[in-house]
This record gives sequence, C-alpha cells and structure tokens, in this order.
Amino acid sequence: MSERTTPERDSAPDPAASLGDSIAAGWDERADELPPADWGKEKSSRRTGTVWLFALFTTVMAIAHAWFTDELTSQAFLAWATIFTAISFQALPFLVFGVALSAALVAFVPASAYQRFIPNKPGRAVPVAGISGALLPGCECASVPIAGSLIKRGVAPAAALTFLLAAPSINPIVMIATAVAFAGQPEMILARFVASLLASVVIGWVWVRFGKADWLRLPSRTHAPGASKWQVFRESMLHDMMHAGGYLVVGALAAATLNVMVPREWLLAVAEAPIISVLVLAGLAVLLSICSEADAFVAVSLTDFSPTAKLAFMVIGPIVDLKLIAMQAGVFGWRFVARFVPICLVVGLLSTFLIGGILF
Amino acid sequence: MNRIAQGLTLVLLGSAALTSTLLTDMYLNWVKAGFGPFLIAAGVVMVLLGVLVITAELRGESHALDEEAAVPEGAAAAEAGDEGRSELDHAVSEYGSGKSGGHGHDHSRAPWVAWLLLFPVLAVFVIAPPALGSYTVESTGGSAGPPPRDERGPSRFTDNLSEAAPDEVVELNVQEFVMRAWIDEERELAGREIELTGFAVPNPEGEGWYLARLQMACCAADAVVNKVLITDHPAPEADTWWRVRGTWVEPEGDLYEVSQHEISTSSVEEVTNPPDPYE
Repeated sequence: MSERTTPERDSAPDPAASLGDSIAAGWDERADELPPADWGKEKSSRRTGTVWLFALFTTVMAIAHAWFTDELTSQAFLAWATIFTAISFQALPFLVFGVALSAALVAFVPASAYQRFIPNKPGRAVPVAGISGALLPGCECASVPIAGSLIKRGVAPAAALTFLLAAPSINPIVMIATAVAFAGQPEMILARFVASLLASVVIGWVWVRFGKADWLRLPSRTHAPGASKWQVFRESMLHDMMHAGGYLVVGALAAATLNVMVPREWLLAVAEAPIISVLVLAGLAVLLSICSEADAFVAVSLTDFSPTAKLAFMVIGPIVDLKLIAMQAGVFGWRFVARFVPICLVVGLLSTFLIGGILF
Repeated sequence: MNRIAQGLTLVLLGSAALTSTLLTDMYLNWVKAGFGPFLIAAGVVMVLLGVLVITAELRGESHALDEEAAVPEGAAAAEAGDEGRSELDHAVSEYGSGKSGGHGHDHSRAPWVAWLLLFPVLAVFVIAPPALGSYTVESTGGSAGPPPRDERGPSRFTDNLSEAAPDEVVELNVQEFVMRAWIDEERELAGREIELTGFAVPNPEGEGWYLARLQMACCAADAVVNKVLITDHPAPEADTWWRVRGTWVEPEGDLYEVSQHEISTSSVEEVTNPPDPYE
C-alpha cells in the first residue's frame, strides 16, 4: 500500500506524523491564521501535490516524446514494447466491459435475483455456473472482476469460480474462433468444449469439497447507507479497475518478456514426445497469456504437435496464465492463487488427456 | 495512491487509448483493426470515470461517504453473519461486508500496483511501439508449418486466385500465397502472375531475402510469420516495404515437404508502409 511508499503524503489521518509536520512547516504558519488546521487543509495540500506530480509526469512524457522516441532503436526492446502494448490494449476493452458489468451487478441487481437463478446447494450450483459460462462473450480479463462481484452477492464461491473458468473457455466467440481456426476438424471444437467445461465443473466441485472460505480474500468495501446506486457503481468500477487493471499490466509485462525471450526452436525439439509435448504446450499457454479468443489461431499454427497437445494449449490457456494469475491475486489474494492455480493445472491436464484420449 | 491520482491515471490511460485510435493509427501496430471501436469506447469510459472520480473528490463527496461508513461498518458485519443473506436485500449498503469479516480498510486508496497502469501510457506516448517486423521474423526462425493433411479439400480456397481470369495479375496475401504453395494439390498457382506486398527480411543463412508479412488473429502477441524467398533481386534494407510481382517457383515432388516457398520476380517496387502492417 501507499502508506509505506509515500509516508509524507499519507500523514493526514495520523496526528503523530512528525515528518509531515516538519515538511509542512510553512503551512502551519498560515494555518494559524485560519480556523483549525484540520483534515481538509492537509488533504487539499496532498491533492495539490498529486496534481503537480501528474503535471510533472505529463511534461516529462512530452519532453521524452520529442527528444527520446527516435533514439529508441533496439529491435529487441521495441518488439518487447510492441507485444506489451498489444496485450495491454487488447485486454483493455474486455477489462472495462467486465468491470462495468460487475459494477452493475453490484449496484443494480438485488441479491435475491441470484438466489432465483443459482441453486442454493453449491454442488448443484457449480454445473449451472459452468453452463452459464457459455453465455458471456468475453475473455478472461472480463471474468475475474465479475466472479469477484458474484461472490460478494452471495453466490457460492465454488460456483463463481466455475463461472470464472468456464466463461473465457467456452463462450460463443471463443467457440466460433476455434471453429474458424480448426475448419474441417469438428472433433477439435467438440473436444475443446467438453474438456473445458469438464475441467471447470470438476474444479468447482473440488472447491466445494476442499475449499476453505478464508483462502479467498475479498475486498471489504462499505458504503454509507445514503450512497446512491450510481455512487456505488462508480466506486465499484474504480476499485476493480485499479486492482484488476494494475495486475493486468503485471501479467502483460511478464508475458511480453517471455514471448520475446523463449525461442520457438525449443518447442520444436520436443514436439514429437507424446506426453512431454502436451505438458510443454500447456506451459506455453500459461507463459504466453494469449487472449482465449485468439488462442485457437496460435494452436493451429503449432503444426508439429499432436491434437492432444493443441487441446491442452486451448484448455489450459483460458484457465491458467500469467496475466490471469496476476489479476486473480489482485482480486482474491495470493493465498487463493497458491491453491487455486495448481488445482486448475492438474484438473485441466487430466481433462485434456481424458477427452483427447477418447476423441483423437 | 489517492483518489485524485486514481482519477488522473484513468484519464491518462483513456487518453492513450483515444490517441492511438482517433488521432493516429498507432493501434494497428498492436491489435486487429476490429478492436478500434472497442478501444475508443473503453477510452471514453475511462476518461469519463476518471473525471467523475476527480469531480466527486473535489466536491468532498466521497470523503463524507467514507466517514459516514466508518461507523455502521462494524455493526453491519456483525449482524450480517453468514446466514443473513436475505435480510441484506433491502439495502445497497451491505455489499462486501458479510463474508470477509469486515476488516475495514480505506477503500478510497488503491494498491501500489495500480501505478503500473501508467506503463501503457508511457509506452504509447514515449516509446510509440512500431509494428513487429524483421526482428520478429528472424528470431522466430521457421514460419508456421503447413496445416495437417486431412484438412485439405478442393473448396477451401477463398482467395482472389479462385475467381481471377487466367491471364490476370492476382493480388494475394502472403499468407494466402503460402497456403496455396503448401497444400494446393491442383497447383493452380503455377504459371500465374501474382502480386504480393510485405516487408523485406534479410536471409542470414543463404542467398536472397524474404518478403514477409505477419498474420495476426487478435493482437501482436499471437502474430504468425509468413514469408516468401526471393533470390533474383538484390536484397533491400530490412523492414522496407515492397510490392512484388512474379510467379511461384514450383517445387519438385510433394508440396507438403517443402520448407520454404520461392517467387521469381518480374517487378519489385518500394511502397510506403501500408496502413495496416498485419494481414
């Protein structure tokens, strides 16, 4: 938190903040003339500081744009920057959409609405949530904040998590993209749908059986009883944007770095080995963090690999990847990620091997 | 990160999205053209949200809300308990308080990680990342392999070649050309005058150079390389764009075994960069 990083600007709530006082010595003199040196005063000086900070940032950017941009010629750095920007900007519309939808769920839909649609028993709610994942057109960036708000509205965590996994894996856009990429191979489309749905539902059931409530950290937010629905909407959107958005950038940084650094020849070297090739493509899906709506096109281009390995790429990618891990950590906490991600990997791989074994 | 900073960050990020779509075509370097309208919408929403947050903060509205909230929070969490779902229906105020035990934190602050949202802003305004080019082609090594055999069918080609008159010059994507060269058992490409557009990539291992183009499904992270070898024209500078006319150098034997495709050129002319560098 910023309490630690910028103590001098955070001193307002703490009456014993001597650093802030000594810096603001000049302020005290003037404050003596006015009514008490209260919160509002310090707060406004902090605000002014923030505005100056951003003004400085913008000026530095403008100078750097004029003087520095043309000096950047390192090909590897530019390729990295391009991929980082590409991942960020490709995810941004989905993130904004997901954040707006989840804020709307929090602000405008009463909790009773969920109880009508989603069964009370978590064990039965999980498959319902899995199927309803097929309805939301979006990618994994949208589903993380939505799952968070579902849990807050009283939906069983296991069901919300199943929705989180199923929505980016089997929604209509993803299935159409898969059908386009794997034209003439209907069994691949079927395999993706079945394996992803199976994995999501099984993970949900595992969570029902073994999950503990305190693994999930949900941000506790409280609003005054007088807050209007629009204020709740605005606050919820801002909060989710800052959390999920910040971690999205972390994921994009990591994915871009690996995308540029991992040579494709390493992959081809293992393409022939039956089980290892499946694990390698599953690992690649985790590292590359490609949007689930695009991963089929990449999978189809990995022609040296077996169908099961390509299936693993498409089943694992939407449920575990760097960008998703970072975003989940932002919304649910690291304690959650440390348990949830291994379960997803294991169940996703088992489901891939099972469906791949039956269909191919 | 205080609320003014959060609002300003959103405004900057939204402006970056709007600058790269409305004022310039930069976004085409990173994502598919179809993302344009969505990026504009996302940019507008972020700028609006940022402005709203800043205005509310300056009016002191959210501050007042926080202070009011500080008192009922503990009480609400205590009475809500675990079973209290239905009794919470009546108010908007309850959300978030039930399960998490009501450890109050100042929700008007964002975590440090939110500062990273300024990275994409820096990337757009300072680095202005160009489209992927010869560096990516060279470091990717081989291009994508041919699609599996069982996919083949006579009616799978929807490119210009299927409709063109026999003596017409046919404009193809590099990807369409490579696909034809790899899997078209009818060899319809043979003897036809083809026009391709792409950028130059040096061939470090052998003679000639490549005319390449990156194929993109969604964003630059999933770009796939397609390239055609040219040996009868001196290699131009890397990353310059060229429009090439010529005919396919038909290989002997099984098309599927071919590792790279070659075109023998009749004309090679430089072009200014096409607006969308990907295909």
